Amino acid sequence: MAKKQFKKVLIANRGEIAVRITRACRELGIYSVAIFSEADRESLHVFLADEAYKVGPPPSKESYLNIDKILEIAKLTGADAIHPGYGFLSENTVFARACQKAGIVFIGPTPENIEAMGDKLSAKALMKEAKVPTVPGSDGAVESLDEARRIIREIGVPVIIKASAGGGGKGMRVVRQESELESAFRACQSEGLNYFADPTVYIERFITDPKHIEIQIFGDTHGNVCHLFERECSVQRRHQKLIEEAPSPSVPPEVRTKMGEAAVRAAKKINYVGAGTIEFIFDNSTKEFFFMEMNTRLQVEHPITEITTGIDLVKEQINVALGNPLTFRQEDLRQKGHAIEVRVCAEDPETYKPSPGLIRACRHPQGPFVRVDSYAYPGYEVPIYYDPMIAKVITWGETRADAIERMQRALTEFILSGIKSNIVLHRSILKHAKFQDGTYTTQFLEKNFEVIEPELFKEVEDHIFLIAAAITAFNDRKSKDVRQLNMISKWRLASRKLQLRT
Amino acid sequence: MYFEAELKGTKYKVDVIELRSQWKISIQKEGDEWQHFEISKTDYQHTESYFSFLFRGVSYMMDVVGKDTEYTVFTRNSFRTVKIFNDEMLLHESLKRGGGFGGDRELKAGMPGKVIEIFVKEGDVIKANKPLLIMEAMKMENEMRSTRDVKIKEICVKQGDSVEAGATLVKFEDP
Repeated sequence: MAKKQFKKVLIANRGEIAVRITRACRELGIYSVAIFSEADRESLHVFLADEAYKVGPPPSKESYLNIDKILEIAKLTGADAIHPGYGFLSENTVFARACQKAGIVFIGPTPENIEAMGDKLSAKALMKEAKVPTVPGSDGAVESLDEARRIIREIGVPVIIKASAGGGGKGMRVVRQESELESAFRACQSEGLNYFADPTVYIERFITDPKHIEIQIFGDTHGNVCHLFERECSVQRRHQKLIEEAPSPSVPPEVRTKMGEAAVRAAKKINYVGAGTIEFIFDNSTKEFFFMEMNTRLQVEHPITEITTGIDLVKEQINVALGNPLTFRQEDLRQKGHAIEVRVCAEDPETYKPSPGLIRACRHPQGPFVRVDSYAYPGYEVPIYYDPMIAKVITWGETRADAIERMQRALTEFILSGIKSNIVLHRSILKHAKFQDGTYTTQFLEKNFEVIEPELFKEVEDHIFLIAAAITAFNDRKSKDVRQLNMISKWRLASRKLQLRT
Repeated sequence: MYFEAELKGTKYKVDVIELRSQWKISIQKEGDEWQHFEISKTDYQHTESYFSFLFRGVSYMMDVVGKDTEYTVFTRNSFRTVKIFNDEMLLHESLKRGGGFGGDRELKAGMPGKVIEIFVKEGDVIKANKPLLIMEAMKMENEMRSTRDVKIKEICVKQGDSVEAGATLVKFEDP
């Protein structure tokens, strides 16, 4: 009997993830339909898909977030399913429901799943019911100093007091001993009132050495849920992940098992279907972990899980969307070796400012145990409208040290010119002692990593840059007015040479 | 051909001579001795999309982007912007800017983007390092600040404008 399969899948996304999904479709014999905004006509995902249709003007709101237009294209092309990728409409219940209504399969969780995890407070309450550890704290407003005192006696110090309406570092105080409580409490209340017109404060355990560690889970429509172990994503800047690795160098085996089990309980609590990620904040000093939030979609960093477990997560998403049971059982799953992913972005590595523009040369790393998920190519112009990430480089090694060395090697091979990229930044991070010993926390880039510019670029001597610039400048001017410039130059040269020699 | 160059704030004198089969390049870092390099043309070859540069046996794949007085050189995941002037240009620049290069009289857009907010108006006298306007590119907002004490001579854009890289945003004069 022929296996049930989608005939055609529309990919409601762009860039590298659209390319990634197209690859899975092609391997499964499914036709792929790309959509593109007016700024993306020359994007690689358009070239690689079987069909491609314009969805609207460059701004996301009018293109990749245009639900009506996307469904119209899906109907027009006869797509029987839509894969939303990550970002854009991937966690949008209106879109998931609109697909359902149109009789098109949404390759992702149910709208109810997305809703259950969409609201942080209700998600936290659900997780408590499922006995998933959450950050100990007041669970709401703390009215009085006495109440605050009672809470910190219960959960212990250090704690952080936060103004409910606060943000940007205002209205936040860390309390390391009970004697500091009163002044911190009053300060947060008054800052809340002064800056945000709201004196409400709450209290939480303060995590001294926080790490971002997340568990990949997978559920099907038959009630099975498995976890595919953890990924550590603590190298972040302003909550944007830069480097991820699996397994985490900080999680002991018994804690890994507990985290996996907690993540499965969390997913089962909401009858989760498809690929999802439970994010935990991990205290590296106590090895405790607490639920942060759940991402109800495929993650950017999914390749490191694929590489270490051997499971193709996108194909598995399609399998689950067809209504089939998971292709694996928990006891079949193993983490083999170590994988690292770096996100290559079109940005200045010193200032972190985006650097869109024309890619001139582009040569991706190759060789053993290197995977590159990229949509960059020579002559492609990175548009200003979307995320600056253009490529992900993933390496595997038997050990963590092997994977790091291999990543250094791969990044050395990566040639990219015309736009600035953060590849040098990645290479400096990989070399850093705190990355190497695995003790880095989410504060690593802000606190431990001072970008010393000469360090970042020291591999190449200044005169190499000068020689290349000078030869090009020479050729440019020569072609402009060969005779005149050479004449002037030779006279002046002669006199300068004379001066030099005397 | 004689050039003056600037790289990361350091000034250099550079001399380039092209012979039939080699480049002779002399570089003098401000305050240092001249260094002389002879580079065979087979060691500095243009391939389809980049240069292969064998410098004393060390292999660099390079690309040079730019024109006139500013070139960005890419190699080994690194890049640097080199400002480079020959005599005519030095003269021209000095007339235009009233001495030395680098004393900016205008704020230009470093990348294509959209003007989100403008904080100053024409005639304002602004201290160094004060925000002038916010540009948005690639979902990021970038605040652009004054590099010195200036008077705003002209604002060439308005809120909501989309601008190309290199477009003049604000013109300054001395306060």
